[in-house]
Amino acid sequence: MRTYELVFIVDPRVSDEDVVSLIQEYKQMISAGGSEISTEENWGRRKLAYPIEKLTEGKYVFLGVSSKDGKTSLAEVEHRMRQNDKILRYLTVRTDEDLKRAARRKPAGGGAPTSPGNAGGIGAEAPLDDDLESGEDV
Amino acid sequence: MTMSRPRKVFFRRRKVCKFCADKIDYIDYKDVKLLQQFIPERSKILPRRISGTCATHQRSLQQAIKRARHLALIPFTTD
Repeated sequence: MRTYELVFIVDPRVSDEDVVSLIQEYKQMISAGGSEISTEENWGRRKLAYPIEKLTEGKYVFLGVSSKDGKTSLAEVEHRMRQNDKILRYLTVRTDEDLKRAARRKPAGGGAPTSPGNAGGIGAEAPLDDDLESGEDV
Repeated sequence: MTMSRPRKVFFRRRKVCKFCADKIDYIDYKDVKLLQQFIPERSKILPRRISGTCATHQRSLQQAIKRARHLALIPFTTD
């Protein structure tokens, strides 16, 4: 199974209703291509870190897509976004491989090296202090 | 003068990769707050020799920062 994340920024001058219909359109395209929409988030109006096409704000939309057989129509969706002037930016990221790798790292090497390392550090410091104190007393 | 001056003891704190310590395995490009810790004033990516991030995590951090920049969540430069 493959999972994708799709984020796009819509021109803030576009009304909320139009944004919703735009999302609807893309969602339809995605489900027509044989994949499911797992999450849909509308981040709403956000300030851009730098101006894009002289605009300082944008409406962010996030879509999580999952596809069982690895077939998607995301290429077509991207193509449509590129042609749409109302879309300032878009980003499609495939996330299943990275998440799988992260999950594998967690049980294997996540906990082991950090906790003994910390314990050793504390243990090593304590005797040193004792030595200094005893030296001063004598 | 030089004789009486106490010798300074330098403590070099061992740098630990933040992501290893906090057990963050997947660095999300949407997590602006996290990424912001690794982009100083000029919005450049903080090098490994300063932040102490391990190579694996620095690589995924770099990827995440670049994605966030593309989406205008993080600036490319500030001046």
